[in-house]
Amino acid sequence: MNRKATISKKLIKRILGFILTIFILSVGVFYIARLAPGDPLQSYYGDAVESMTTAELDAARVRLGLDGPIYLQYSKWISNVLQGDFGLSLKYKTPALEVVSPLIGNTLLLGGTAYILVFVLATLLALFCARNEDTLVDRIICKVGTAAYYIPPFWLGVVLVLIFSINLQWLPSSGAYDIGKSGDILNRIQHMILPLVVMILSHLWYYAYMIRNKLLDEIRKDYVLLAKSKGCNKDEIVFKHCFRNVAPTIVSIMAISIPHVLSGTYIAESVFNYPGIGALAVVSAKYHDYNLLMLVVLITGILVVSTSMIAQSINEVIDPRMKLKEVPTCRIIESSSS
Amino acid sequence: MAEPVLQLNNLSVSFDTSSGEVEAVRDISLSLNKGEILAVVGESGCGKTVMSQSVLKLLPKTSRIKQGRIIVDGEDITDYTEKQMRRLRGSVLSMVFQDPMTTLNPTIPIGKQITESISKHTRVSREQARQRALEMLNLVGIENPEQMFALQPHFFSGGMRQRCVLAIALASNPKVLFADEATTALDVTVQAKIIDLLLDIRDKSGISIVFISHDFGTVARIADRVAVMYAGKIVEIGTAEEVYYDPRHPYVWGLMSALPSLTKEGEDLTSISGMPPVMLNPPLGDAFAVRNEFALAIDYEEMPPMFQISPTHSAATWLLDERAPKITSPISLQRRTEV
Ligand SMILES: Nc1ncnc2c1ncn2[C@@H]1O[C@H](COP(=O)(O)OP(=O)(O)OP(=O)(O)O)[C@@H](O)[C@H]1O
Ligand SMILES: [Mg+2]
Repeated sequence: MNRKATISKKLIKRILGFILTIFILSVGVFYIARLAPGDPLQSYYGDAVESMTTAELDAARVRLGLDGPIYLQYSKWISNVLQGDFGLSLKYKTPALEVVSPLIGNTLLLGGTAYILVFVLATLLALFCARNEDTLVDRIICKVGTAAYYIPPFWLGVVLVLIFSINLQWLPSSGAYDIGKSGDILNRIQHMILPLVVMILSHLWYYAYMIRNKLLDEIRKDYVLLAKSKGCNKDEIVFKHCFRNVAPTIVSIMAISIPHVLSGTYIAESVFNYPGIGALAVVSAKYHDYNLLMLVVLITGILVVSTSMIAQSINEVIDPRMKLKEVPTCRIIESSSS
Repeated sequence: MAEPVLQLNNLSVSFDTSSGEVEAVRDISLSLNKGEILAVVGESGCGKTVMSQSVLKLLPKTSRIKQGRIIVDGEDITDYTEKQMRRLRGSVLSMVFQDPMTTLNPTIPIGKQITESISKHTRVSREQARQRALEMLNLVGIENPEQMFALQPHFFSGGMRQRCVLAIALASNPKVLFADEATTALDVTVQAKIIDLLLDIRDKSGISIVFISHDFGTVARIADRVAVMYAGKIVEIGTAEEVYYDPRHPYVWGLMSALPSLTKEGEDLTSISGMPPVMLNPPLGDAFAVRNEFALAIDYEEMPPMFQISPTHSAATWLLDERAPKITSPISLQRRTEV
């Protein structure tokens, strides 16, 4: 009874916090975008802007919702959004939602694949390093991993394109698929390889190192001494005893890392001209395509805030101390009869 | 008499640290017979843990056996490899640690932690291992073992956890059990129960126990023989009777007069002044000399050898040399011979 009430109270609090965060985010980005120098009409009319009269320009502004003080523009925008109308993209001259929706899948495919690969590889690498702690191979991996982590992804992307696309001509340098092949899985994979390599190299060691250190902390714990003293070998200690205790931490690191990997996806998209939300975000900011930019910001914001809230809930469930608090009655007291 | 199950001959263990060599254990010799309980007593940092962990070779890589031999059941294991040691750990040599709250793996059910120890050393079916684990839980006094089998450690109190650790340590019928401050973290009544349990197990199985403690009072309940350590060395060793009723080393006098149960009413409880030395560059002579009110000039220059008092009793203090002035132990200690 009581627990249910506190849980639903918590849930309501979370949802209110979520709405507030997205609201503040949208106001902030709305103001910054409008205050930034540049003329959105330039991207709508192109060079024709030069030959338009002041009256014509004013009329266009009114039509596109670009007139009046910014707070009025915002209130108009948000009331439209609440009715499901995200406005027109100034650059593409079609509804912003139509521009964005086919790209969401591309981004989720690339980001999701990278996310899974980063964590599978990071965990394997961390286990390997912890198992071989302080040996030459562990030290080499640590050095190489750190170096790889600090390679700027832009530069790495250019180098990879030069080698694999231009010189060797093995892999495409941009796009998500060749024209007419959007359903061809092999073709899609080919287009994802280079962006994935960049994303994995720029995230892998960051997480592998984190997990490795968690494992090493675990290896120093008392229960390892007991496991050793009953005859366990190093493999059993690392893989059976310690990994088990680190696994929940890995899940919570994974949950917290979603924004980090998402931002990496955006970077990779713009480096490789991969048609996704990230590449679109850059384009829309460049062309003062306000409606498009706001939509991209909203999608990203909702994704980031909701995942980190889910992460928080996962962590609360996983944390054994929280679990313990919920079942105090199950604790067995030293029986006085024995 | 039968061969001792454990023998340490002039064992010295050092750590190589960035600030120099830490001589944690210095020239220790002792032997342990089948079914015997030897208590090792001494202040914090005197090397009790290092001594016992060096026998199981559980110490970090920075440690090394500088000299001496470790003989288990007639076999010299000093130069055993990690692989050879793994076969001994659990099945011949076993250990129980100080803090039962941290020595169990928090995410593995108790039962599984016991069966792991069993199937490591004997070829048994899953069901047989389970039966044996239940037997062990029963042996260490855990009620409803079937029910407890599947529970994780955080469902248990400290005392019950220590019983579980004992069940793990004893599961493969080891010959020697090292109990390193196994009762220190527990409250007094639980402490007493665990000690009774250890005595009971010894009587049933004939296991030999090295019972490590920094508390003379606890030791009195359990020990057949007592070894007192100071600064990495054994300063006095003998049967419990000899060490309690006829202590010879001034350090042991000091420890005894710090015990509330051994001092007379109205008499002050005293504690030994000063701190035990750090074992980085230990002094040339007797390490206890600076805290010893009976110290002789030679104590600062030369390490005292072990003086034999009886076939089972010896102590390392120059006071036992025939040229030394005759100093009798403080009055309060002699009282007990009259009782
Ligand atoms: N890994 C290590 N590296 C360097 N020195 C160490 C290490 N482990 C222990 N020592 C040193 O060895 C000495 C003996 O330590 P040990 O843990 O055996 O003491 P103890 O008698 O078990 O004390 P306590 O009652 O506190 O458990 C101490 O001086 C300690 O500083
Ligand atoms: Mg210790």
